[in-house]
Amino acid sequence: MSTNFDILPATELKPPVSERGIIGWVYSNLFSNRFNTTLTVVFGVILGAAAWFGLKWLIVDADWTVIGTLGGQMVIGQYNIEAACPGKNCFWRPQASLLLVTMLLGMGWGIIGGGLAKRIAIGVVAVLAAFSLLPYSLERMGLDVRLLLLANIPALAAGWALARYTPLGSARWLVVLAVGTFLVTLVLLRGVEGVPGLQPVSVIYWGGLMLNLLLAVAGIALSFPIGIALALGRRSRLPVVKLLCVVFIEVFRGVPLITLLFMSQVLVPLAFPEDFPLNSLLRAAIVITLFSAAYMAENIRGGLQALHRGQAEAAASLGLANWQTTLFITLPQAIRNVIPAIVGQFISLFKDTSLVYIIGMLDVVEISRVFIQGNPEFIPSAQELFIFLALVFWIFCYSMSYVSRRIEEHLGVGSR
Amino acid sequence: MPSWQAVLRGLTYEGIPLWRHTRIIQWVLQVVSGILVVVLVVWFFANISGAIQDRDIPHGFGFLSREYQTSIGQHFLPYESTDSFLYAFVVATTNTIIVSILGVILATALGIFIGVSRMSGNWLVSKAALVYIEFFRNVPLLVQLFFWFYIVLALPTIQEEYVIADMLHINNRGVSMPWPDPVSAGAAWMFPVVLVVAAFAGVAVHRAMQRRETLTGAASYPMVLGVGASILIVAIGWVALSIAFDGAPFTISVPEARETQGGSHLHLGGFTASAGLMALLVGLVMYTSSFIAEIVRAGIQSVGRGQREAARSLGLPYLKALRHVTFPQSLRVIVPPMISQYLNLTKNSSLAGAIGFSDLTNVAKTMTQTAPAVSIFLLIMLAYLAMSLTYSLIGNLYNRHIRFS
Repeated sequence: MSTNFDILPATELKPPVSERGIIGWVYSNLFSNRFNTTLTVVFGVILGAAAWFGLKWLIVDADWTVIGTLGGQMVIGQYNIEAACPGKNCFWRPQASLLLVTMLLGMGWGIIGGGLAKRIAIGVVAVLAAFSLLPYSLERMGLDVRLLLLANIPALAAGWALARYTPLGSARWLVVLAVGTFLVTLVLLRGVEGVPGLQPVSVIYWGGLMLNLLLAVAGIALSFPIGIALALGRRSRLPVVKLLCVVFIEVFRGVPLITLLFMSQVLVPLAFPEDFPLNSLLRAAIVITLFSAAYMAENIRGGLQALHRGQAEAAASLGLANWQTTLFITLPQAIRNVIPAIVGQFISLFKDTSLVYIIGMLDVVEISRVFIQGNPEFIPSAQELFIFLALVFWIFCYSMSYVSRRIEEHLGVGSR
Repeated sequence: MPSWQAVLRGLTYEGIPLWRHTRIIQWVLQVVSGILVVVLVVWFFANISGAIQDRDIPHGFGFLSREYQTSIGQHFLPYESTDSFLYAFVVATTNTIIVSILGVILATALGIFIGVSRMSGNWLVSKAALVYIEFFRNVPLLVQLFFWFYIVLALPTIQEEYVIADMLHINNRGVSMPWPDPVSAGAAWMFPVVLVVAAFAGVAVHRAMQRRETLTGAASYPMVLGVGASILIVAIGWVALSIAFDGAPFTISVPEARETQGGSHLHLGGFTASAGLMALLVGLVMYTSSFIAEIVRAGIQSVGRGQREAARSLGLPYLKALRHVTFPQSLRVIVPPMISQYLNLTKNSSLAGAIGFSDLTNVAKTMTQTAPAVSIFLLIMLAYLAMSLTYSLIGNLYNRHIRFS
């Protein structure tokens, strides 16, 4: 027996209004039930009030002249004052190193080709070039300064062309050139005795954002390998090595950085012979690096611990030596797994460079505070100044964490 | 006579040439690194002691009993500048500890609130929490501290201060608030004991009632009864102490603005938190809570989605599901990084010096002007290491507790 079903033509039923489009989104994300609606209203009122008063303050009440008054000091500190550099003609040296960095950015863009590297390179150079148009008088900000800022555009293009059309366009060369650039920057900033135009500038005058960035770059570049060594040492089967690493890590992690920095100023000069060439900047850099390395070691150790033992066993059964297993099998995977923690440590290292105030170095925060203290008429503008500084640091730190997230996506962490 | 190559070839252990035997290589490595470190340390100490002798730098710990003769801004223990270095050190350490404890409590509360908000299904709430987290953790604490400090400094002067309900006096020197004022010393010292007993009794009642509810299903109101028991014990203790010591343990002292004969203004009574202390607390709490919020979020996310859905389908409302099902399970992921944030907060409180609050590091820094730096460095290191160890101990105890229960 057969049954006949009337096969009706399928009529497309549209989803109800409450489930689609803007209305659906608003409904399900803001007003889905009574509790949610209450939350939305309460938060909406609070946030609305905060936004209203915040914007009113930012646009109407706030007096941003303090930032213009400080101006270049925030970037290079007292590097170009008369006491540091007689004749005040040293400004081109940080700017020249900036050009080298821009070239590196251009090379990075050329090698990686498009995507994030391109956006970073173009964004940075656009900001730098825009700085050349700042509405200062020509006495305050000379034509030479402006031209050197604009020169970042050709420098970027030159870097890109170098990477594309010469054999230098490989990641390996980029690393070599980056190290070279850092050393050249140090020499340029420090100066060379007897060379015209390069009169030595004492490190006590290095300051501003330049100092923060120098300390951060040096700290990041050095604390990473030291941290790896410490992490491996702590996991080593050799009791003496293990003990040394544990003591080092725990002592550096147990004491605030600011205490270590301060003591580096008081104690370290005693621990070395009197004529030992260690200036305050170098001491600060060493302390920040070692402090960060201790934290880095713990992050990497976490990654190593989380790695399944089978990886090392498989490598060993394939006949790899211990060092090969570590270098090619376990370490890369461990590092990949803890990228967020490592970048978090880089970010906190960058933030911690503001602590060098304790040893009297005028980084961007300290030079601002000293300025406010020295010019009481600007005390009411202190909030504007520190909000501006917060924004500057935020841009750097947030970019770092953004880049790290992109790298993680690229390496497929969590999806492999 | 064998050539030196032959001798070298003959040097074997377990049949393997010495320079290729892993065990030998490892031991040589260890001995070399050990010797290197020892030499380095000895060299440092030789240099330091040489410098101490040559440049006649004071050393030793004899200074501890000397008078410190320097004032300490805000302090929680009674302090006079005629007190000894040792006591000043204790006062400064207490300052650090109290700020840390207050900061830890407030940052935890705020951090959990923001972490849970971040997980909310409400778009507005979630995004507001995201902005908070991303802003506060990406700005150096020092900048935040200065910001809050200059906000306090921008408040009206003491003559034109804000007064809230005749209790809170807010001006550019800080905030004056009502504070318990001990009447009789004995009762005041006994009262904390009563508080501890009340807290334990409250927890015990809460647990018992919760068990009864679980076993019998009868509504037993664990929270109400637990809190009620605590309040009752505090009240009884208060009355008992008042009778035993002939006077209540505390009265509430309310700050009062007065003008002195010299024309300067000040507050009598109450407790005045200095501008530095206020800025330090606000800064530390905002900064640390942004990290705690992320830890809480990661912890809640680590609990399987099914747990939450099961709880909801059993009819638990959102917040109850969070409190009774999700949150307890996420604790084992949350606690270890949380402890390390607490430790960070304690260490970060050493930035207090920048805004004029006398914490351990700041006082120690001032001390080095009149006392041997080496000794002081050893003392602060000891103090901070003791604090870290305490946190680690608490963390380990808690870890063991949740692992075995």
